[in-house]
Amino acid sequence: MSKQVSFTLDGQEVTVPQGWTVMQAARQEKVAIPHFCWHPGLKVAGVCRFCLVHVEGARKLEISCNLVVQPGMVVSTLRDEVKQAHKWALEFHLLNHPLDCPICDQAGECGLQDYYMEVGLYQSQMTRPKVLKPKALDVGSELVLDTERCILCSKCVRFEDEVTKTGALGIFARGDRSIIGTYHGQKITHQYQENLVDICPVGAFTSRRFRFKQRVWFLKEKSSICPGCSTGCAIKVHGKPEMRRYFRVKPEEDQSVNGHWLCDKGRMTLEHLNPEARLMQAARWQAAQQAWEFSPQTAPFIRELAQEIARLAPQDIALLVSAQYTNEEYAEFFDYFVKQRGITQVYQWREPSEARDDFDGLLLRGDHNANTRGLMAALKQVGIKAKIGDQLEKCVAAKPQLVIALSPEISFTAPSLPEQLAQLNSLARVSLWTTHFSASQWTQLWQLLPLRGFAEKIGTVTNYQGKTRVLKEAFPPVASEVLAISQIIAGLHKEL
Amino acid sequence: MEKPKIVTRFAGLADSRSLDTYLRHDGYQALHKALAMKPAELIELVKASGLRGRGGAGFPTGLKWSFVPKDAPEKYLLCNNDEGEPGTFKDRYILELSPHMLVEGMIISAYAIGAQKAYIYTRCEFYEEIAWMEQAIHEAYRHGYLGANILGSKFSFDLDHYGGAGAYICGEETGLISSLEGKKGQPKLKPPFPALSGYLNKPTVVNNTETLAVIPWIVQHGPEKYRAIGTEKSPGTKLFCISGPVKRPGVYELPLGYPLQKFIEDDAGGLRDGKTLKAVIPGGASAPVLTADEVAKVTLDYESMANAKTMLGSGAVIVIPEGQSMVELLKVTVDFFHHESCGQCTPCREGTGWLSNVMHGIYQRKAKLKDVEKMIAIANNMEGRTICALSDACAMPTRAIATKFGDEIRSYIQRGNHG
Repeated sequence: MSKQVSFTLDGQEVTVPQGWTVMQAARQEKVAIPHFCWHPGLKVAGVCRFCLVHVEGARKLEISCNLVVQPGMVVSTLRDEVKQAHKWALEFHLLNHPLDCPICDQAGECGLQDYYMEVGLYQSQMTRPKVLKPKALDVGSELVLDTERCILCSKCVRFEDEVTKTGALGIFARGDRSIIGTYHGQKITHQYQENLVDICPVGAFTSRRFRFKQRVWFLKEKSSICPGCSTGCAIKVHGKPEMRRYFRVKPEEDQSVNGHWLCDKGRMTLEHLNPEARLMQAARWQAAQQAWEFSPQTAPFIRELAQEIARLAPQDIALLVSAQYTNEEYAEFFDYFVKQRGITQVYQWREPSEARDDFDGLLLRGDHNANTRGLMAALKQVGIKAKIGDQLEKCVAAKPQLVIALSPEISFTAPSLPEQLAQLNSLARVSLWTTHFSASQWTQLWQLLPLRGFAEKIGTVTNYQGKTRVLKEAFPPVASEVLAISQIIAGLHKEL
Repeated sequence: MEKPKIVTRFAGLADSRSLDTYLRHDGYQALHKALAMKPAELIELVKASGLRGRGGAGFPTGLKWSFVPKDAPEKYLLCNNDEGEPGTFKDRYILELSPHMLVEGMIISAYAIGAQKAYIYTRCEFYEEIAWMEQAIHEAYRHGYLGANILGSKFSFDLDHYGGAGAYICGEETGLISSLEGKKGQPKLKPPFPALSGYLNKPTVVNNTETLAVIPWIVQHGPEKYRAIGTEKSPGTKLFCISGPVKRPGVYELPLGYPLQKFIEDDAGGLRDGKTLKAVIPGGASAPVLTADEVAKVTLDYESMANAKTMLGSGAVIVIPEGQSMVELLKVTVDFFHHESCGQCTPCREGTGWLSNVMHGIYQRKAKLKDVEKMIAIANNMEGRTICALSDACAMPTRAIATKFGDEIRSYIQRGNHG
């Protein structure tokens, strides 16, 4: 353990590791010091000059973000002069900031708004016109930039320099003419663009996907785990349950895995939660009409499946399982089908073209399955020895009478999905359990059972490190006909 | 009062910039002496002389040197020859008189702190001075004062120069370092201080041209002799550049503690064209203004100026005659800092613009009387809140003018409001 240092913060004795700043200590102690340019995942810039505190014996107020705790230091965030300084710092920030909150996407989660209520509440003294700057700039596929709203905290510049190391952003010109932007004619092209939206304390960077879709104060947040790859980043899904819609995915701080960040791919997993991409009801293929027949009743489908299972010998049934389900779901699935029903043909369903060992150096891994390790452990648990790899062709070649398949949930993780489904068409009976559905690509399967999406279940997955990641909170499913795996198995139990 | 010549001792000599002239007047003797000493002894010597930085802040030079870690393998010495403070034209005069003074001063200083490499950061508008300086550096290399094993010692040292593009902020020591590193000229957050992590994150000392140029004299004549000049806390001489409607504007070397009024009246010959004195900016645009009454009471040294709530600064004495509009003066001052603010720190970026904005309102007589108080409040909240001193440099003169000449500004506004 590193050496500890004690000091006084607002009258309380506080002990922190040596080398910590007052800002870090205050964060740990939940003492709120207003700040814009400081971010726990970035280097200290010390430019917003907002986080001023009083230090006994010091000639002037100090910025807490660059003030290393010294033993016995006496720091106050509560003195009048500190509060006055915060007020003025905020007024300086707002001086040239356009007050377009009613049409700004950041409204409701804006540092300027929040701090105005907390430490501001002054009468504006600015009576002259504001400095005007370019607005609504296209700086990247996921980003829209309003340089006028920017308060020049430089967090985005440091993110580009320190995290993605792409250095795409800079502050150009000087003084109050300073403008945030990309280098001449260039765009931000990396896969971490939306982190810039996250760290932007104001509405300068807004998300192209999310902007103007929903006011943030209407959104509910639930903690989950990103299903986009084997890293398993901690995320918060933002949705509006009463609308049965999801609006965005944001990272949740987890120093052991993703720190403060999340890749743009991870945020796109959202697309698989909303009704347009979902299988909302159970369906069966009507060969005569060459069309799907959907039904709000799932019980008949489960009964049909039970009848098939009862009719066939276990060796004529195969399981085809993708690596995107929770440990709990696998346990239940294999316990029922392998242990109780005696099915021994179990195949993995993976993307054949995957480059499993790829890594972008930051978060995104080539194994685009959230729970490869969990699946392998679950297989081992029921005595099935297997190496990681796609076995769909092997499954088709074995010509089982019935295949019960857990489909991959996230389409970008499975670019070969349409071809794989076409291969499955050659089999007599496939019961495909899936969250995802695409009317244009999917044909001929015997039955489709609708499953809950990742934001609609709790459970655990095991990431590439072997760390157990917890999907902590669940939204209600987008439709009442959408089932949990446990519900289907309970239904089968009842029938058999 | 005796006026010893240290930095200006080459004034009036024919061919004063040449190495021959320099050598004839004991040039590079101090270097011989210094190389025979231990670096730590040299630092003690400069400490004992009481020399303070001549760029503006007046920080004790020997003390600054002593902060540099002894054992660091790579260290830098930088000469701040950016001379951007409005009203200042003294450092270029040193290069005009004898650039070898600076070169020798830098070699000795580099030896003292253990730097192997130094740069002279010069504002690029000094075309002739740069040519003279280059000439001196070449001569010094040719004669073994620069390069490997200087004068047969174990000390090797290289000197080069770099032209700044004319930003005021690049005269701030860490702004200068950023610029020299090829970055945008913006001051760096301190700590860490340059003495520990400066140019290329290596220990670095940044000294003003005048400070470095006086080092050879101090080494050669000893700290006691230097201390005998000036006041106890402000020893030595300093260059003062006086501008405005005086009879003999120009650069003067004066012992510190010299009366300001005497300087204006005797040395500079007083105001011309029968003008009377209204005010004086004693140390460059960032120094708070002194009224004519205050001018009579102060002497040209760090303490007297601090007592009068202003500063000696770079030694740029700007004389303001009766009849000069203080509204105009403040507008020009504030506009300058607004233009030169690097924009990193919010209070400076926004504050300088705000002051400029209010000031333009006043200038156009589209203002309220209480705008004068607003300017003082803005200035108060810009001061001491930023990474570097540019914000203070704007706030201090603003507050001084708005306070001392508040009535003039208010009556200016009122004349407008009454048509």
